[in-house]
Amino acid sequence: MIWIWLHGLVRRRTARMAAAAAGVAVAVALLACLGAFLAASKATMTARAASGVAADWQVQVTGGTDAGSVLGAVRADPATRQALPVGFAQTSGFTYTGPTTQTTGSGVVLGLPDDYARAFPGELRTLTGSGTGVLLAQQTAANLHAGPGDTISVGRAGMASARVRVDGVVDLPQADSLFQKVGAPPGSQPSAPPDNVLLLPQALWHQVFDPQARTRPDLVTTQIHVSRSHALPSDPAAAYTAITAAARNLEARTAGGAVVGNNLGAALDSARQDAAYAQILFLFLGLPGAVLAGLLTAAIAGAGATRRRREQALLRSRGASVRQVTRLAAVEAAVVGVAGSVVGLAGAALVGRLAFGSARFGATTVTAVAWTAGAAVAGLVIAALTILVPAHRDARAMTVSAGRLTVGRTRAPGWSRYGLDFVLLAAAGAVFAVTGRNGYQLVLAPEGQPTISVSYWAFAGPALLWLGTGLLVWRLYDLLLGRGRRLVGAGLRPLARGLSGTVAGSMARQRRLLARSIVLLALAVAFAASTATFNSTYRRQAEVDAQLTNGADVTVTESPGASVGPDQARRLAAVAGVESVEPLQHRFAYVGSDLQDLYGVRPGTIRRATALQDAYFTGGTAKQLTRTLAAEPDSILVSAETVKDFQLRPGDLLNLRLQDGRTKRFTTVPFHYVGIVKEFPTAPKDSFLVANASYVTQKTGSATIGAFLVDTGGRHIASVAHRVRALLGPTATVTDLATTRRVVGSSLTAVDLAGLTRVELTFALLLAAASGGLVLALGLAERRRTFAIAIALGANQRQLRGFVSGEAATLAVGGLVAGTVIGALLSQMLVKVLTGVFDPPPSAPTVPWPYLTALGSITVAALAAVAAVAVRLARRPAVQVLREL
Amino acid sequence: MSLRDGATTRADGAPAGPADGALVRCVNVARTFGTGPTAVVAVHDVSCTVPSGARVALMGPSGSGKSTLLHLIAGLEAPTGGTIAWPGLGAGPNGRPGPIGVIFQGPSLIPTLDVTENVALPLLFAGVPAEAATVSATAALDRVGIADLGPKLPEELSGGQAQRAAAARVIAGRPRLILADEPTGQLDHETGGHVISVLLEAAEELEAALIVATHDAQIAARLPHRWTMRDGGLTTRGAGPGDDRRP
Amino acid sequence: MSPGAGVSTTGEDLDEDVALSARTLYRFFRAGEEETLALRGVSLSLRAGELVAVVGPSGSGKSTLLACLAGLDEPDGGTVMVGGRRISHQPETVRTRLRARMIGLVFQSGNLLEHLTVRQNIRLAQRLAARGRRDDADVLLELVGLSARGEAYPSRLSGGEATRAGLAVALAGDPAVVLADEPTGELDSATERQILDLLAERARSGVAVLVAGHSPAVAAAADRVIRLRDGQMV
Repeated sequence: MIWIWLHGLVRRRTARMAAAAAGVAVAVALLACLGAFLAASKATMTARAASGVAADWQVQVTGGTDAGSVLGAVRADPATRQALPVGFAQTSGFTYTGPTTQTTGSGVVLGLPDDYARAFPGELRTLTGSGTGVLLAQQTAANLHAGPGDTISVGRAGMASARVRVDGVVDLPQADSLFQKVGAPPGSQPSAPPDNVLLLPQALWHQVFDPQARTRPDLVTTQIHVSRSHALPSDPAAAYTAITAAARNLEARTAGGAVVGNNLGAALDSARQDAAYAQILFLFLGLPGAVLAGLLTAAIAGAGATRRRREQALLRSRGASVRQVTRLAAVEAAVVGVAGSVVGLAGAALVGRLAFGSARFGATTVTAVAWTAGAAVAGLVIAALTILVPAHRDARAMTVSAGRLTVGRTRAPGWSRYGLDFVLLAAAGAVFAVTGRNGYQLVLAPEGQPTISVSYWAFAGPALLWLGTGLLVWRLYDLLLGRGRRLVGAGLRPLARGLSGTVAGSMARQRRLLARSIVLLALAVAFAASTATFNSTYRRQAEVDAQLTNGADVTVTESPGASVGPDQARRLAAVAGVESVEPLQHRFAYVGSDLQDLYGVRPGTIRRATALQDAYFTGGTAKQLTRTLAAEPDSILVSAETVKDFQLRPGDLLNLRLQDGRTKRFTTVPFHYVGIVKEFPTAPKDSFLVANASYVTQKTGSATIGAFLVDTGGRHIASVAHRVRALLGPTATVTDLATTRRVVGSSLTAVDLAGLTRVELTFALLLAAASGGLVLALGLAERRRTFAIAIALGANQRQLRGFVSGEAATLAVGGLVAGTVIGALLSQMLVKVLTGVFDPPPSAPTVPWPYLTALGSITVAALAAVAAVAVRLARRPAVQVLREL
Repeated sequence: MSLRDGATTRADGAPAGPADGALVRCVNVARTFGTGPTAVVAVHDVSCTVPSGARVALMGPSGSGKSTLLHLIAGLEAPTGGTIAWPGLGAGPNGRPGPIGVIFQGPSLIPTLDVTENVALPLLFAGVPAEAATVSATAALDRVGIADLGPKLPEELSGGQAQRAAAARVIAGRPRLILADEPTGQLDHETGGHVISVLLEAAEELEAALIVATHDAQIAARLPHRWTMRDGGLTTRGAGPGDDRRP
Repeated sequence: MSPGAGVSTTGEDLDEDVALSARTLYRFFRAGEEETLALRGVSLSLRAGELVAVVGPSGSGKSTLLACLAGLDEPDGGTVMVGGRRISHQPETVRTRLRARMIGLVFQSGNLLEHLTVRQNIRLAQRLAARGRRDDADVLLELVGLSARGEAYPSRLSGGEATRAGLAVALAGDPAVVLADEPTGELDSATERQILDLLAERARSGVAVLVAGHSPAVAAAADRVIRLRDGQMV
């Protein structure tokens, strides 16, 4: 019996089955794509984290332990690629006697083995002179006014200084981790690496400091720098666990003689948090799409409901039991589900291959299998829910004779009578408020814990909003089409003229179906709009973040000791590709006893060089506050903490002590507090001050510039940076936006979110077009008969068109309006709930107008196309149809 | 030969005078479906004239071409051979002959409109303003005795009520020719009889011609003239098809 | 009650020949506040080998009666017995089984599943009845004169052919009773005669046939005529 049934379905109902399978395929493909993207992203994150670390481990040899034994223990680990001992010695300071005598404060001297630079290339960057031998850190060289060829003295505690000849000047890109206090908890790490650093070849270092080690062993220590094999699990969390375990293992094996500074672990730790966020993000953005595809499938399957009911009635009258009838429906569901799942998985594999060159659905085999199975199961479930469950329900509930009827005057659906939509919306608001109270913490990674917990509870807010607004829109349109029939008729007049009342009446009687279609279209539009808005906001904030860190397209930071005047700006402006140069003063000022960074700006022009967001300030917009700085030159912007410490009110006098450029002594300069600054390009994370540059110059007698913000117009950033670097040499640090974008913040920003969103946005467009066109297309068979009757009664083409375009227009307007509103609400909620993903958080979502315009146009075009086809198909009533009248 | 051509050659706007009393004139009309060896000839070489005031029963077994002939006379299908002209009926605004009212075997009411809207529909298509159309529709429903069924949907009507609604739909348009294709086929005798009575009364009142295709002899007996079709050809008996007017 | 209209038996059905019997059937429908009494105390019995016609105007309750007799609808009062077993007021599974094995139904239209050929429709019906071999389908097709149309899909059949095919499907399970609800409603008289002849021939070979209709040809073809008006036998 099943074979006969199946044969008939496949041969005669091919189009319907294919359409339903297509719906299933879309949902499955979307889910599988999510898996593929997630896998690829996680692997990327792990790889990025690993490659960004210069020295994977810095193993501190604790006092008393033999460094050699620790080295042996490290080398014994098969995962160790390179392990080299590095000496760390505290020095009381360096002195250089040249044209002037410069002395620095205390510093650190490292003893590097000969092959260190080759083994750990990320730690050193040669600026001038030789790359090997005695090397001065750039800042130290600037402080001492010393360079290659000069001889400096190295201070030693309780001993005479040693003299060494400088071979080269280097930059230490990973100074923060290089000079970490190994083993200390994150809170007690030094806030900045030492300013004064000297690098000696190992032999020389031993020469200089072994004597010191005997008298003051607390000042001389050894670290083993380790580079490990990066054959890590591609999932950051698994990689983190593995590397942390390995570190603990080493510590155990050396019985406390070694403490591991796990740089790689730290990088992976932040990567795994980002991975968790990525997972949430993809699910937030992708899951609604899969659900929509499911709803679309339900609509397709639902179109055949009347016919199925009649078939069921016939079967039952021939003696088929409920179980037999259900079994036949199960066959149909199985065929649709399996076909859809297979096509969906194949499609996703294709997309994965095109996007990444690989078609894996998971970072590990287990996750790959899990995702594939999950997506396929989802497809089967959708098929079951849309075909099998209604069939079974019908089989049990209806009497056989009722099945031979069609439409009836139905009562309002249950949910509508109990106001479920309002309940859901209220719940959405409640969940939103609650998650908001704890600052939308979605990913919790307690210190040192091997696992991360993700707050999936946050999904509830948007999910409830989806449901609630969907139901509410249904209710509203049901009302509008029913009771508001006259209004609809009036609105249709330009399309249907004299028939507008009749068309409105016809729609009123089909309003359940129409309302459902409008809701489907609205949700598809909302999905597309909210995804696109989230994406554009995300990219905007990533851009802002990069700008905040770098300051401008190219930023030239002078060494602290250098005194470069504003005329440097002219030299920079002459470089090809530079549009404008803005000087930024960088001083230090004592606020009470606290030393803070002070930035002097030119209020008239600063906003041209770098984008100052209103969110950076409190007490006025960026424009207002810069105008204040210009109008009242002694104004100053301070940090919130300073305001609290000093109980400041706007206009209060604030005395700061700045260094006079002439006398080099600190003098008191009066300022007036006008507002709070929270973020500023190139500024550090802790308290700082922003003031008017000319006032600072006037009061300190020094116009020294700390940094130049170079605007290239966004073009050829890298090459301009290169030219500037060539021009200025090693005395200044040149950073550019392009590099910063890659390096800054979380690896999440670097993850190609764009890839996934491109897929999703295309899906969303397709879904929107399909939802609209499908509904019209589905009514086609019934429409043909109606058209035949109408033509027989004397209707002309224009009047027939009026019927169809009335429906199409109602669908389009209803769907787009509702979709826009829901999309706007959802965007706001998504941006708020997913705040943790943004750095810095946006004040408002960025609306992607081009995409939204395309969305609206394509939807309208799809509807218009289907409407046109519908009318064309009914142009001449098939003789067959006439005969059936 | 296109339908429109057939209409326009005659449709100078003025209905041809009642001088010759013919509403429709068919000359060697033929209708073939399909081409080649599988072609089906539904009607061939039919010549007839429908005078005004005719009351004709068109009889014949199923498959004899009765429906096709009615469709041709109504202008719903175009003949593949011969000519049809509607001298007694001007062309309607849709380029087809009108006013002609057609009743089909099934009620063919549009399921998503209520009875009044269904009855008003042809008037709306003809360009009558909505309120006037509704008034005419209600009057027509009253005429056939189902005024209280106005707000009901087609699925709520019995077979007989639905056919009476279809009759009202025809009447509302005030046609000059009424064509009924097996209107009582799906009804029992009593109800069917009522429907025929309604049609006859309407034709009387509107001074319209009436052609009823039926295979029921009892129904045919109520109409004075009889045409018979067999295998696509028309054989006639009794006054009506204008045997003395053959061109 | 007029004579010859089917006498209801008073005690148990002792007559082995009775294929189908109904005793004082009542059925009412409620639509909104209105209550319609579709059947009022209808009783009849059907013997193997006889062709009984149930005639009456539309709305007289013919369809409702047939639905109750077939176990498709539950009467509100009275009982229906098929082949000596009660079919009314039984759980759905019992009614379905009885229907599959003992009753064949022919409707005015929609007798066939659209996506299956005529032959496949017959085979499906055989499966549901759990009896009948493959070649029985050929026999049935020949019986109703559709041997050449076995592979056709229902949309290609004419009205008469479709009803004949429906009859073949109804007979597929080799039922003891055939109930036909206005099978000739949409057909012209010649085809109607054909169908009625087939039904009569079936009756002669031992099947109990009940035909509901309103045309005089139906009454003429029957051995016995039951007249219904407003749910009552007259």
